[in-house]
Amino acid sequence: MVPKIEYKKLKRTGYVPAFLLAALLAGAFPVVNMAVRKESFLSLGGEPLSVLLNANWQMMAMLNILLIVCGACMMYHTEYTDNGMQKMELLPVRQTSLFLGKFLIASIMTAVMLSIEFSVLAGCAVYWFSDSRLNPMILICHLSFSFIMLLPTIILMLLIAQAFRNMWISLGIGVILVFTFSILPQEQLFFALCPFSAPYQLLDNVHADGHVGLFLEIAALETLLFALTEFICLKIRRNFS
Amino acid sequence: MNFFSLISIEIKKIRRSKIFLILLAPVILMWLPAIINSGKLTKIQDISILPAHNFFIQGFMGMVWFMIPATLIICTVLLTQTERLNHSILKMLSLPVNSGLLCLAKFTVLLILPAIQMFLSIGVYYLSAYISSRMQEYDFVLPLSYSLPAIGKFYLAALPAAAVFWMISTLIQTPIFSAGLSLAACVPSVLMINTDYWCLHPMSYPFYVLMIEYGKAAKGVYETSIDWLPWIPAAIIITGVCLIVSCAKFGYKERK
Repeated sequence: MVPKIEYKKLKRTGYVPAFLLAALLAGAFPVVNMAVRKESFLSLGGEPLSVLLNANWQMMAMLNILLIVCGACMMYHTEYTDNGMQKMELLPVRQTSLFLGKFLIASIMTAVMLSIEFSVLAGCAVYWFSDSRLNPMILICHLSFSFIMLLPTIILMLLIAQAFRNMWISLGIGVILVFTFSILPQEQLFFALCPFSAPYQLLDNVHADGHVGLFLEIAALETLLFALTEFICLKIRRNFS
Repeated sequence: MNFFSLISIEIKKIRRSKIFLILLAPVILMWLPAIINSGKLTKIQDISILPAHNFFIQGFMGMVWFMIPATLIICTVLLTQTERLNHSILKMLSLPVNSGLLCLAKFTVLLILPAIQMFLSIGVYYLSAYISSRMQEYDFVLPLSYSLPAIGKFYLAALPAAAVFWMISTLIQTPIFSAGLSLAACVPSVLMINTDYWCLHPMSYPFYVLMIEYGKAAKGVYETSIDWLPWIPAAIIITGVCLIVSCAKFGYKERK
């Protein structure tokens, strides 16, 4: 029920087309890269998917994160313009379930976006690296790992977006966070685990270091922690507005 | 109303927007890793670059390739959204003011905000260079005659990108598309400056200027002189076309 309302609100904001467009744009990176510099990648050797991800994932992940930032700002922008938020408070709907509905929609759209990107990557792998076959299980593992790494970023960004009435403040904070975590040293495990920098990580590299379990646990913990923070924020805000 | 009073009105409108904090935060944040890593810079031997230049360039790297264009985008969102909220743009358009002039006044404010950020970054650079010098007992402070022209060039190189972002935000009313498209356009600049077509991509101009500075300081990293010829005409044409289009189309949706 609630996700349906949330989806209806987003209908004319261009939320869904924006995610699809961004997925195609991110998918264009490996295609263009392969078309232009085919030889240098083919000579690298190794698993085709790993070669492609190592070459392109930094850019693709950055695009994904930026889109999540914009999307979260947009979701709350529609609520705050024309005081939609106050009207929602009058309805017999829990504030927390509205937040979770938004989180659900953002996660579904992210999953769709990642699926498109990984199918393009798989297409590249099959088209250019014709001699080796692609294992669909490995593809699904990579996809789900990247998805779980993005979850804390999605929920933290929604938390930031709901805290500020003006879109440019939440967008500004989001972009500053993207920037700050992109210049922090990613080799250090602590910084790599943070939201906004975990999505840059690749399953292969994390697996080689033996940190897969740690990364998944921390992502789940962070997601729960931010959800809890949001619930507390809503309780406090009710006393002041 | 003349142009200057329009600009002063636009500045008054954003007085309480807290944009100053958003301009200040990245400037401070970008120098923290630089101060922490300053110890490593004095030990690098493999490329022939002075640690002081390396400190300056590494510190500004993240700022120039991503944060200057991103700041411009945030300021565009600020300038367009303050007026769309409560339909105040309708009131502005009903005044006896040339709408093209109004558009140019807003664009000028869009240029003033990053200029403030550049001045802040000069201040924070000298502060962090001083702190690092005290920590490492090595003089990281570069003279103003080096840093001022360099930062001025980064700023000037960002102007065509500002015009492009401004045009995108006047043409596309949906905020997610205008901000998202502009942000997405910044991402490939690392790839673009290594191709021959970089002058068609205004978001990579500041990064190109920085890489030229890097090439001058460390031999062999990048080219050492700026290719003025395809760049300046391309930049002027892009800026001009974007400004003309945005002035002509400013407020067209509200007027319908």
